[in-house]
Amino acid sequence: MSSLNTTGIRLGGATLPTSVPLPSFIITSYSYVWYCFNVLLIKVPGGHYVVDYIKKSINDDPYRTVIEISLVLYGIYYYLSKPQEKKSLRSNKPNLSEQEIELLIEEWTPEPLVNDSPVDMVKQGWRTTKTPVILDGGIQNHIKVSRDNDNEIYENVFNMATNNFLHLCNTSRVINKVKDVIKNYGVGACGPAGFYGNQDVHYNLEYTLSRFFGTESAILYGQDFCVAPSVLSAFTKRGDVIVADDQVSLSLQNALQLSRSTVYYYEHNNMDSLNQLLSELNAAEAREKLPALPRKFIVTEGLFHNSGDIAPLPDLVRLKLKHKYRLFIDETFSLGVLGAYGRGLPEHFGLNRADSIDVTVGSLATGLGSSGGFALGDHVMAYHQRIGSNAYCFSASLPAYTVAAASEVLDMMENDNSAVTQLHYLSEIIYDTMMNSYDALNQFIVIKSEKASPVLHLELNAQFRFDKFHYTKEDLFDTVSALQKKRSSHIVYDPYEQEETFLQSIVDEVLSKHNILITRNTFLIKHETLPIVPSLKISCNSDMDQEELRHAVENIRETIIKSCSSL
Amino acid sequence: MPFEEDERDPQHVPLITPPDLPIDIKRENEFGSLTSKDYLYQVKCLDGEAIPEPVIDTPPYYISIITYVNYLILIIFGHVHDFFGIRFQKNKYSDIIEKDGMAPWYSSLESFYVRRLKKRIDDCFSRPATGVPGRFITCIERISHQFNEYFTYPGTTRMCLNLSSYNYLGFAQSEGKCTDYAIETVDRYGINPGGPRSQVGTTDLHREAERLIARFVGKEDAMLFSMGYGTNANFFNAFLDSKCLIISDELNHTSIRTGVRLSGATVRAFKHGDMHGLEKLIREQIVLGQPKTNRPWKKILICVEGLFSMEGTMCNLPKLIELKKKYKCYLYVDEAHSIGAIGPNGRGVCDLFGVDPNDVDILMGTLTKSFGAAGGYIACDKWIIDRLRLDLTTPNYSEPMPAPVLAQIISSLKIIIGELNPGEGKERLQRIAFNSRYFRLALQRLGFIVYGNADSPVIPLLLYCPSKMPALSRIMLQRNIAVVIVAYPATPLIESRVRFCMSASLTKEDIDYLLRHVNEVGEMLNLKLNSGKSSYDGKVQRWDIEEVIKKTPEDCKDDKYFVC
Repeated sequence: MSSLNTTGIRLGGATLPTSVPLPSFIITSYSYVWYCFNVLLIKVPGGHYVVDYIKKSINDDPYRTVIEISLVLYGIYYYLSKPQEKKSLRSNKPNLSEQEIELLIEEWTPEPLVNDSPVDMVKQGWRTTKTPVILDGGIQNHIKVSRDNDNEIYENVFNMATNNFLHLCNTSRVINKVKDVIKNYGVGACGPAGFYGNQDVHYNLEYTLSRFFGTESAILYGQDFCVAPSVLSAFTKRGDVIVADDQVSLSLQNALQLSRSTVYYYEHNNMDSLNQLLSELNAAEAREKLPALPRKFIVTEGLFHNSGDIAPLPDLVRLKLKHKYRLFIDETFSLGVLGAYGRGLPEHFGLNRADSIDVTVGSLATGLGSSGGFALGDHVMAYHQRIGSNAYCFSASLPAYTVAAASEVLDMMENDNSAVTQLHYLSEIIYDTMMNSYDALNQFIVIKSEKASPVLHLELNAQFRFDKFHYTKEDLFDTVSALQKKRSSHIVYDPYEQEETFLQSIVDEVLSKHNILITRNTFLIKHETLPIVPSLKISCNSDMDQEELRHAVENIRETIIKSCSSL
Repeated sequence: MPFEEDERDPQHVPLITPPDLPIDIKRENEFGSLTSKDYLYQVKCLDGEAIPEPVIDTPPYYISIITYVNYLILIIFGHVHDFFGIRFQKNKYSDIIEKDGMAPWYSSLESFYVRRLKKRIDDCFSRPATGVPGRFITCIERISHQFNEYFTYPGTTRMCLNLSSYNYLGFAQSEGKCTDYAIETVDRYGINPGGPRSQVGTTDLHREAERLIARFVGKEDAMLFSMGYGTNANFFNAFLDSKCLIISDELNHTSIRTGVRLSGATVRAFKHGDMHGLEKLIREQIVLGQPKTNRPWKKILICVEGLFSMEGTMCNLPKLIELKKKYKCYLYVDEAHSIGAIGPNGRGVCDLFGVDPNDVDILMGTLTKSFGAAGGYIACDKWIIDRLRLDLTTPNYSEPMPAPVLAQIISSLKIIIGELNPGEGKERLQRIAFNSRYFRLALQRLGFIVYGNADSPVIPLLLYCPSKMPALSRIMLQRNIAVVIVAYPATPLIESRVRFCMSASLTKEDIDYLLRHVNEVGEMLNLKLNSGKSSYDGKVQRWDIEEVIKKTPEDCKDDKYFVC
């Protein structure tokens, strides 16, 4: 006992420099604390190691002991102070009594779950009643359509609204295959890819897709609209750079939003604008001296969803190589459509997909006529998606019959490109027929799409729109983004709604007078974050009769001219 | 077949020619027939009563320590591997090194978990299958090379007892009413709907299925989507924005998180199943309002899942409805796993708890699981659906549900309701209920730690050590049982588990077979860690297997043996 006391005293006397005068009460209280601590520790098994350590450290380096003790004390203080609670919002909680809190809770009135304004419903609700419902299955090009809860019924309607461009999925070969697969696999796959959900047919389609489109790998997704957001965000993080076309569709806009990266836009299909932007970005990056290279992507579409024009791939490839970017292209509408065999954008421009495009996302539901989506790229990228891409990991695999059908369609396309050739031919026909009396049409309508697009996009002429509906594309964009920024629940812009109603009246007219089904481009201004204007869509598929098509387009053209001139 | 067999890459999964079996054997392989009426259980409705919070059993401390040490060793070795590999084996690590001035697809640190931990047990995931994932699943055998760097396929298959597919009611079948109807629709409707719902993709079949689902779940109207994940991922941005608050259970599915992120709404999470925490959070948030501006929230949406797929626990619906009404919040219940599988009539958690479906604002569910189809639905009041049809992106931009899937949904729903093959739906419901309860209680009695509620068809058995996951999965495969193992990030780091998904297609004898093997493997891997905390008598359970098989089928029908 006494030896312990002397240890403490000796600390003050011998080891510390004598020039530091220490009052005696500090030394005695310190000795006392040390004594009690000692007694306690020796009772704990293994405690004498701690005692020995402390004794030795005091003898060797008393300053260290002081620091250690203050650290321990701070640790205890920190632990007791519950920093999480202090950091949370609770700290700026106003000092309220229980009663006041109850009152606040009582007072709070939330908005209705969704916008319940009857005025908005009147302005926008016609979109649901005007949606056509197909009554006879819709396999053929002539269908039976009902609208407005079966109040309007049209028989033998020529379907010019479909995205099923090649119509190969309706051949007896594919239909028989589908039936066969359902008889052996059932309908659903009943599980995600990671847990026994991917079957031999799925891997087979991935293999077939990658072979057909000339990439190392392909990877299947459950729905086309989800592919781009999931794929892009699997690879990007904060600080990465994305340069995107300023007219990409909503699926890509969602992808850009989910990517967490810094997004820059270049002018639609304008390669000078892109080149300049990339040069500026690279110069800025060189100045910043980042610790690690960010991942950099150029994001655009093959055949544009909203306008039907084509991205200039050779220039994109040149720029991406020059500026060290990766190219991400959404080919939902161009796979199965562009190129001699329907291999998409690279084939259209005579390039090789593996060398030109790093990531392609596509749909099985458009040209290939099944359902689901997929991504194409190299092995490393595909492998990472199997773990890192949410829509792949956390969702059930596609039904076996859909993938088997797509395999069958691809096999047919590989051996015989007559459907694709026919589609190109018919696409030109609708384009040319529409352009036939361009002078009459031109004052009302501009054709946005290119000749190779099987979907013809017709927009009102900007001047005509301004004369009749008193707004411009910029007005619409500014008003809508201001409303979006305000988080308004009522995103309604009257001139736009009027134009939409007018376009719908053309659709109605075409349907009731000529028994032809065309459609508006249905987009939602509530969600669109890029400039967009309403348009009409007229599409063809390779199974259509050439004369009937020509005749139908003429009828549509006349109806449009008549409606526009009488407005 | 698209390509000739000999030009195929051996690293690609071969197409398996379906075996030509007699129809009754095939039927039996997909859906085992009931062996005795004793093996049925009619779920009771809880009549608005809340369930007690589940008691979570914990393993002895040494198990937790071993688990952490296990991870530590894996991580240290992984880093050492990486350190030398990146310097001396550049070609092997080319995918994580900068190349020609381009950043790699993913950095070494981001992909560390995947490359160093998951890849070692890759042979336990994504096992290719073929045929119907019914009572048995036909796995395609594969040979792993270079520590799962790649696989080759000898072309043989292995028929395994299926505990892995979400086939709760056993509708994964290749013959029967559902398949007949699906095949019939192919002739009439084809397989491609042609465009978004709002343009040309709506058929009368869509309307019929939507009405049927609305009726089934007890709502005025419903909407269908072609992908379950996509239903959630593109749902919330239709009516929520950054001035709205989502109060979300911490274990909600990734699809909900994606959807919420896309909507920009603020999220606050509460501890899984903690209703007191939830109430506290709601009160606090109503008082505090939006961050920075302190303006009140526009709306508050409570977001939960009906049955949590990794835990096997159910949301406490009566309490949630009470809170939602008290604080004027909205309630969203994701019934991805519970619809069809839970409740006296299979109508999900509302049915089980005996609450009015109209008290839940939005009911979402998927059709992949109990119905053997694909896709998802949203069911709400009519005025909400009418608005959502205008505001949701999916019906305006994305492909709709194809006809054969709709046919499967319509026919399986009609069977469950009893309009088609009366009696069959009821039997399926009673079988899944019996199977789940029997297997759950038996596992507890054998001494395993099992999570979840009594009636849940998802039965997670806790393994803890990450190295026990591949061990169990491989041994079970050898014994012709297909199981699913799940680990971090789907679960907390130390709570690796094996998840058994019960199915109405299994017979009681199948479960006995399974129990015997799980029992043996459990002994081998030291998995019997039950401390008695969650057993009805509070005692450590280490029953003999024969005793379990003898007594449990009767006992499992009694609620007193289930603590929660």
